[in-house]
Amino acid sequence: MALLRPRVWLTWPCLWLVLAVLATGSGRALAAPSEYQVKAVFLFNFAQFVDWPAEAFPRPDAPFVIGILGQDPFGSQLDDVVRGETVNKRPLVVERYRSVEEIHNCNILFIGGNEGGHLDEILMALKGRSILTVGDADPAGQRGVMIQLVNENNRIRLRINVAAAKAGNLTISSKLLRPAEIVGAGEG
Amino acid sequence: MTLHLARLSLVFAALCASTVAGIAHADAPSTGDLKQLSVEELMNIEVTSVARHPEKLLQAAAAIQVITQEQIRRSGATSLPEALRLADNLEVAQKNSHDWAISARGFNTALGNKLLVMIDGRTVYTPLYSGVFWDAQDYLLEDIDRIEVISGPGGTLWGANAVNGVINIITKSAADTKGLYAEAGGGNQLEEFGGARYGGTLGSIVDFRVYGKYFDRADELYTDGSRAPDSWHQERGGFRLDSQVSAQDALSLHGDFYDGHENVDTGGVGAGEAGGGNIVGHWTHVFSDESDLSLQSYYDRTHLVDPIAPVYLGGIFELAPAGFLRDDLTTLDTDFQHRFALGTRNHIVWGVGYRYTHDVVRNAPGIGFFPAVFNQSLYSAFVQDEFLLGHDWSATVGSKLEHNDYTGFEYEPNVRLEWSLATGQALWSAISRAVRTPSRIDRNFEQPVPPAPVLLEGSNSFGSEYVTAYELGYHGGLGSRVTGSVSTFYNVYSDVRSVSFTPATILPLYFQNNLEGHTWGMELSANYQVLENWSLHAGYNLLKENIRVKPGQFDLTNGLNETADPKHQFSIRSALNLPWRMNLDAALRWVDTLRTNNGALPGTVPSYFEVDTRLAWQATQGLELSVVGQNLLHAHHVEYGYPSPTTVQIQRSVYGKIAWRY
Repeated sequence: MALLRPRVWLTWPCLWLVLAVLATGSGRALAAPSEYQVKAVFLFNFAQFVDWPAEAFPRPDAPFVIGILGQDPFGSQLDDVVRGETVNKRPLVVERYRSVEEIHNCNILFIGGNEGGHLDEILMALKGRSILTVGDADPAGQRGVMIQLVNENNRIRLRINVAAAKAGNLTISSKLLRPAEIVGAGEG
Repeated sequence: MTLHLARLSLVFAALCASTVAGIAHADAPSTGDLKQLSVEELMNIEVTSVARHPEKLLQAAAAIQVITQEQIRRSGATSLPEALRLADNLEVAQKNSHDWAISARGFNTALGNKLLVMIDGRTVYTPLYSGVFWDAQDYLLEDIDRIEVISGPGGTLWGANAVNGVINIITKSAADTKGLYAEAGGGNQLEEFGGARYGGTLGSIVDFRVYGKYFDRADELYTDGSRAPDSWHQERGGFRLDSQVSAQDALSLHGDFYDGHENVDTGGVGAGEAGGGNIVGHWTHVFSDESDLSLQSYYDRTHLVDPIAPVYLGGIFELAPAGFLRDDLTTLDTDFQHRFALGTRNHIVWGVGYRYTHDVVRNAPGIGFFPAVFNQSLYSAFVQDEFLLGHDWSATVGSKLEHNDYTGFEYEPNVRLEWSLATGQALWSAISRAVRTPSRIDRNFEQPVPPAPVLLEGSNSFGSEYVTAYELGYHGGLGSRVTGSVSTFYNVYSDVRSVSFTPATILPLYFQNNLEGHTWGMELSANYQVLENWSLHAGYNLLKENIRVKPGQFDLTNGLNETADPKHQFSIRSALNLPWRMNLDAALRWVDTLRTNNGALPGTVPSYFEVDTRLAWQATQGLELSVVGQNLLHAHHVEYGYPSPTTVQIQRSVYGKIAWRY
């Protein structure tokens, strides 16, 4: 192995010094988070920008439930997002369901992509209940899911079916509606 | 011209001084950060669809740049090499319509051999000369998730050949490519192209996609103004299946096949061919957040027909006529990796691998390999430990041990140190050793083939080339709008390839390991979000090479033949979102004078500026129309090659494209 030359050894500490000075500047880098990390934060935001009727909660102190039906694409990310958070003084909890029959007290329901095959049955079973249904399988928004999370060129877009939300007695804030694409308006 | 250049350099130096860095890698924001964002901001943040534990073992403490799908699309790139121009830490030079020279940190010769390239974990180099046939590598660019480009050695994880850099091309999971995508277009140089993909779900647990594409490229020009007969046609297709078979297990199976015909000017023997196919299976089992294992196997075949020009002595006396070199390579490869935590401080990764290659050459009169049929086995094992030294210090120590049939055992250790300064900011340093093991050209080569008198041949005493690299780098941000990275390196090379002559008869010349020396340089990269709808990117590379003949030894070209690199290069890119769902992108690049010596006498390719632009309009939700101009500043320019009347010039290219997503 050849030896480093003395002048190189001299330049190296100088570079360290320059970099250390520059590095004291503040700021944070903007690497891309994962798709489901961002989608988890969206679900958390929905809890704040949608109004549920009082009947949606069995007790005044009942927790606010975000449910996942079917395959869970979030891993622990949704749990991380809601940990320690409250909505209108209700603690946020995450529940996971294998089938629609297991859903009792749920406020937001994320319907996993592999449930697309029997989406109609799921929505039929939930009909009339104040559950904000959220999907991310592409054609879902046209078929009665209230909010669709669409990955468009690596950015998450919202498609909101206002009519479906209204049918569930849910009021969606303009903060969500404004940047979203409205679909299925005037139907059902 | 000189003044113009000086002014630009000044502007650029000011930019560098005020920002220093460019992003390549940074830690993903925490969920806490994301919760602070408004709905609009959240919708604008770019996400990756990668698994939580991708094979990003080297990223934190290495000079890595990541090319995203959006950058590829917005650049107007039509091939992998064009997309690789987006990496500031690479040298990319187009030789002709279908051939490219690509390297990191120097040694970008016609037989460049110090870069390791992988597509979805499949190594794509040729054992003929340890380089990459870029005309055989492609994909439907729409379905590429990202390209990770690491400059500097990666031998500890990836083995021999990862001497100066590693390129990792990663395609999207089939779960992310559902629906129909179709594209078509054409222009003056890229005369015609089309591609399509369809993806969906089978039986609710398997996601799939199938794709196909083709293109026709026109001839370029010789420097004497005549037509260079190098037009190119290629077809390609493939599939991918992904299945999350259980909460812990993911399976993936994918394959591609391709066939291409390319014209080469070799005195009229006919067109060359580059074809092949592969099938790759991958299984990952996750035990926990900190532990998983993966097993991958692939089968790959390449078929190459290369027209070889006649060999003349003194330019007049024909030693061997023109003919075809044919090469059929079969590769079988299996890799196993396991990651786990040891206590609370140590994260261990270890793995073993085996590769078998069966290479069958049919020699041309002008070039041959002996033996013509050659089988090789490569065994490898590695272990690496990443451990916390304190609150914000971490160290990585590891080594690879390989056994190849030419030189036996080789080892490739590294030590890396990372100091996290603040969220997303880090200083890192590394010392690593990497090896370039002999390829068939170094050992089994004859030019021309006997009974013609041999001018140049491989040598059984040719051994491995070595580098010890010392690196120091920083990545992070300055304020909320600027991110960047700076990487510096000092590489010490030993036993680099040289050419000796036979005593008394002079000919044949033969390969030896008589060169040594060092290189040093830096890579700067900076992103600046000027406005919400406008971002700028700048990159700069400095490379100083000092390769010399070992004391008391000999090299025919006096140490000049293994390098052909620009000392400086820089680029500036702008990405602007316009109203009415239009995007305007532009990229300026400047490449310094290239010294090339493959013609035995020193020659140079002049420095050049070039500009690429793209204007795109999202006409409807699914329909996108775009116009792309490449190399717009000159009608034609040379990027590579020994200067001669038949050096190929790359012509200005303009094409239109329609893309449809449903």
